[in-house]
Amino acid sequence: MTAEIRSNVSTHENMQDRPVRFAIAGVGGMGGVHARSLAALEESDLVWLVDLDLPVAERLANDIGGKATTSMEEAFSDPSVDAVLVALPTFLHRQAVELAASHGKHVFCEKPIAMTTEDGQAMVQACKDAGVTFMVGHVVRFYHENAKIKTMIDDGSIGEVATVRTQRLSPPVMQRRPWFADLEKSGGLVLDLLIHELDTLRWYFGEVKRIYAHGLSYSPIQKKRDYVMVSIRFHSGVIAHTEASWSHATFRTSIEVAGKTGLIKYESEDSSTLVLERTKELDLNVPTIPSPSYARPSSNQPHRIEVQHFARALKSGDPVLVDGEEGLHALRLSLAVLESVRTGEPITFDEQGQRV
Amino acid sequence: MSMKPPVRIAVLSLAHGHGYSYSEAIQGLPNATLVAIADDNEERGKAAAERYGVPWEADFRQTVQRDDIDAVIICSENNRHKEMTLAAAEAGKHVLCEKPLSTNVADAQAMIDACARAGVQLQTAFPVRFHAAVVALRDAVVGGRIGTPLAVAARNPGRCPHSWFVDKELAGGGAVIDHTVHVVDVLRWMFDAEFTDVFAEIDTRMYDIPVDDTGLLMMRMSNGLPVSLDTSWSRPASWPIWGGVMIDVIGEDGVISLDAFNDNLHVSRDASSDDHPVMPGAQSNYAFVPVEHSGDPEMIASFIDAVQQGTDVLVTGVDGLKAVQVALAAYESAKTGTMVSIQH
Repeated sequence: MTAEIRSNVSTHENMQDRPVRFAIAGVGGMGGVHARSLAALEESDLVWLVDLDLPVAERLANDIGGKATTSMEEAFSDPSVDAVLVALPTFLHRQAVELAASHGKHVFCEKPIAMTTEDGQAMVQACKDAGVTFMVGHVVRFYHENAKIKTMIDDGSIGEVATVRTQRLSPPVMQRRPWFADLEKSGGLVLDLLIHELDTLRWYFGEVKRIYAHGLSYSPIQKKRDYVMVSIRFHSGVIAHTEASWSHATFRTSIEVAGKTGLIKYESEDSSTLVLERTKELDLNVPTIPSPSYARPSSNQPHRIEVQHFARALKSGDPVLVDGEEGLHALRLSLAVLESVRTGEPITFDEQGQRV
Repeated sequence: MSMKPPVRIAVLSLAHGHGYSYSEAIQGLPNATLVAIADDNEERGKAAAERYGVPWEADFRQTVQRDDIDAVIICSENNRHKEMTLAAAEAGKHVLCEKPLSTNVADAQAMIDACARAGVQLQTAFPVRFHAAVVALRDAVVGGRIGTPLAVAARNPGRCPHSWFVDKELAGGGAVIDHTVHVVDVLRWMFDAEFTDVFAEIDTRMYDIPVDDTGLLMMRMSNGLPVSLDTSWSRPASWPIWGGVMIDVIGEDGVISLDAFNDNLHVSRDASSDDHPVMPGAQSNYAFVPVEHSGDPEMIASFIDAVQQGTDVLVTGVDGLKAVQVALAAYESAKTGTMVSIQH
């Protein structure tokens, strides 16, 4: 069985002189962004668009090309497909990734890898057994500022790092997409948003030694607001504070890294290259605070770079930046944060990142 | 109603730099007079005395005996607060003491008791409480502008002050005892609640010094509110300003964010070596020059008014003690790796 699957897997020699052919599962939200990247990039072609909401998939297919279907089986079993991009709600990730692996397809799966470490481990194992590449979509590593900060930390620009603060603050999302706040379906704020910070910090500073967290994830208000703040001690000694919020009015991120010989600071709002302030809805007789929207238009958007990185890795045979094990580590840390929020206890890890 | 005479003040020690801004605040008030500077560091004391046009005295014990002094402001090293406060109280002088009030609970209690026995006022110097933006923050939160408060993320980062601040004996600790107390005091005042537990990560990671320079406190208050506080001396010597006090209060209906020392002129100069009077301490040619020194003058004015009118000071010795307790509990937590409860 395994040998048969492996014989179906496209090798980098197969793909090096042509685009990687993709099927994508889930084209609402994030999946729509990825579908457009796959259709636009010269490293990839989009063959199948899978969504239970067929009209949505058909409309997008009409726009960017590819065939629409409601059947993952139909798309993933197509021998012309090399790789699958999974952008379904988190609780469906395992089923989709295992199906893709069973057809010998390389897999890119949106973060978080899964809701439980058991599911995540099964997905990693399925891809390993099938001999396919497995990448988890921790896109924040592909943001220009974070990649640059990683380089500066590693090249000693600010000396040995002492302490770090990061924020990922967002308006409440649950009014628009209730499943985001469903701890059973998405894992809520921690698995959706905070996991980005946990993954990026671990990428910068290695394995975590201890986590202690406060938050609202298990309070009644969690259905309409959430906020979590975490103390992280790394085995390297670095002390970090990170926050994620569904309680703010505008989306923003920030990071500050303090080292022995210097400090790096980045705030997305301060770094906007375009700010829109609407006056049309403003009642000029009533003093209010307008809500500007901040943006950093870029000719090279991180979500596109991320998918391009995956396609290029498949074509070159080079390793992906965020493999399944990395995605699993980020999940373990996220679950530890939730546990600390729930129990009020610190959670400790050994130097391999396993729970003590 | 007869005009009451101005309150006559002696500043005891300028070991803590706040002594200078407090002295300037006194000189700006119509109902206060700076009478003397006492400092056993002769060079420092003489220079300040000359600057403010008052006599210098070497021995604070003689200064507190003077009949022409009503109150003292203590800006010594932290572990000397007690002996100066006790001497002033015994001489019947009111006391405004720099924070942290003490390096341990017993000293703070002795200071509170001595002042109570002598019938003099003891105020802990928490100027942040008097900062206009902090007052507005409290008004907004208490006034319900963000609905029910849900969590607080705060920070009081700074440059490493070196000198006696990094001497365990004189300071009582490092960044954590230096930078826990301001924010703890503001939040106790804002929410009328105590801190009940703390979990802390504390270490010496930036400087070759015998005390901590990096601290992160995860706390809970008696009203259930979770609070995080970063106390680190994480600002490089070249950072354009000494540090800051930032408090984000996350509420059910919104978020309010304080950055108390963010109102600055951003100044860049090409001249390299010479020091510049409006950029004291700056070790780079780019510096933030505060537009307003909010907090210190308002606090001094409040203390002077209380002494002159015989009313209760707004920030007491007990407030100082409670803040010290939180810092000490943080050190205990970091030592044991567990959450530590604070007894009240």
